[in-house]
Amino acid sequence: MKYEVPIGPIHPALKEPIMLKFTLEGERIVDVDVIASQNHRGIEWIGMNRNNPVQSIYLSERICGICNFCHPACLVMAVEEAAGIESPERAEYIRVIQGELERIHSHLLWAGVAAHELGFDSLLHYVWMVREKVMDILELINGNRVTKAIIMYGGVRRDIKDEHIPKIKRMLDYYKQAFGKLAKLFLEDKTIKMRTREIGILPYEEAIKLATVGPTVRASGVKKDVRQDMPYFAYPDFEVKAITPDMLTGETIGDTYDRIIVRLLEVKQSIEIIEQALDEMPPGDILAEPKIIKLINQIKKAEGEAVARYEAPRGEDIHYVKLKSGFEYLYAWKVRAPTYINILSWRPMLLDMQIADIPIVAASIDPCLSCTNRVVIVRNNKEEILTADDLHRLSVKKTRRLLR
Amino acid sequence: MGILRGGGEEMSAEEIMQKFQEAGYEVWVKEREAGVKNKVKRKSVWIKVDREKIRDAVEYLTELAEEYPHFSIISASDEGDEVELNYHFTLGYGKLLEEFVVTFKVALPKSDLKIKSITNLIPAAIFSEREMREMMGVEFEELPDKRHLFLTKDFPDGVYPWRRDETAPKETNKLYEGWKK
Repeated sequence: MKYEVPIGPIHPALKEPIMLKFTLEGERIVDVDVIASQNHRGIEWIGMNRNNPVQSIYLSERICGICNFCHPACLVMAVEEAAGIESPERAEYIRVIQGELERIHSHLLWAGVAAHELGFDSLLHYVWMVREKVMDILELINGNRVTKAIIMYGGVRRDIKDEHIPKIKRMLDYYKQAFGKLAKLFLEDKTIKMRTREIGILPYEEAIKLATVGPTVRASGVKKDVRQDMPYFAYPDFEVKAITPDMLTGETIGDTYDRIIVRLLEVKQSIEIIEQALDEMPPGDILAEPKIIKLINQIKKAEGEAVARYEAPRGEDIHYVKLKSGFEYLYAWKVRAPTYINILSWRPMLLDMQIADIPIVAASIDPCLSCTNRVVIVRNNKEEILTADDLHRLSVKKTRRLLR
Repeated sequence: MGILRGGGEEMSAEEIMQKFQEAGYEVWVKEREAGVKNKVKRKSVWIKVDREKIRDAVEYLTELAEEYPHFSIISASDEGDEVELNYHFTLGYGKLLEEFVVTFKVALPKSDLKIKSITNLIPAAIFSEREMREMMGVEFEELPDKRHLFLTKDFPDGVYPWRRDETAPKETNKLYEGWKK
């Protein structure tokens, strides 16, 4: 007998709102449907109708709190190409360092979440403790842990100063030491192996067919990494190589365990890139045009279109931008975040698996959905949608009731 | 046609451009430099395609490419009387510095916003086509799933957020009346 189990829109196993509808035969999953439209913030619409291009940088930071450098970097890359803006050499290096710092913290964050989904909470706390080191460095060089507001058209807004460098190097040494322990905890632990080996397999062919990106596709053995294939900023200087699980184990299965391997090795790779970048960083300016009004006018006059691609921790970000001369906002802006395309791979991964595997398999692509702006209430099979205003009203009501 | 592997050989951006030109398409290539010490060129190929030919063009690209073309996204812009769709693909991954973007540009007149779905060739395009359908009001023929993707189920018909004409949402603009116009 078949029955349906809905998971989401809000569910303890999911950190963000999305709905998965499973059709089950006993414990076995026979069909999966993803219902994405749980909340849409209309960020592209705001960029096309309300914000000037400089304001849109800060808006795009808020597409995803974890990838808060990737999206603005991708937007900046697209606008720079469309408007013909060049940025100084030092800025290109700082952008690489920022991007790799973000990859380290994002992969460690994911590793903690994965441990939590498996019910291994002591490991979650250990990994997140380790992660704090990189967050401290982010705070040191940016003044903020998240939404760092560092990138700008034609450069970056803050320099990496000489006094920062020894501290960053100390952090890198710490991670080199911690890496061995992390690898041992994640890759040799019997429980983790049992819960992830041969679970949620995405074969090579499916990964290609569904146009999957990032660690998810690399864990299936596809050597695809934008930093390698079509490098941007200063990445051509580093000759990055796409990481696949066979580099460590000699074979590629494409399961959840392989996705852990890829992310761990990428942390190591990021450490090496940052080290090289710190040593080779050229001196000089960090911003081509410091006057924002002038910059906005330059972009306003520009005409053109461009597609930019950026290898974010979760996969490839793509921003398409079209500028029209005399038009105040971005004329067209399309954001494709990696999870947008990776969600499709949940279906082949989850088919024939058990209900208990859903959290870790769903988490294994490192999904990153947007956060709340409204809530759906299902009462007697009828759906009601509460907007932020409704919620605010309810909240005020409750405060008044308590005051009485 | 092999769906998992492309039928062709390794190709550079220029070769793809030449092949499409020979097949009668209008093609142009854009370049942008990257790198500090090791300067490389990031390339993108732009191809103008009539809407009747979109499936032919995708099929031809699959035939030419060595690996199955990696579908990225469909983007769109409102060009007054027309809606312009851009189908972005990437080709040549796995090799150092050799990947490039291929974009099919399709213009659809607003009086008849219809195009064939490419999900039979590229299954991953389904989310993107569903999104373009709700945001731009483009009807994709033979699209297997016509539900809303990002907008709510009860979003009014005939209102398309990304259009720049009378079908753009007016209520949403009202929300932001305090903002300078």
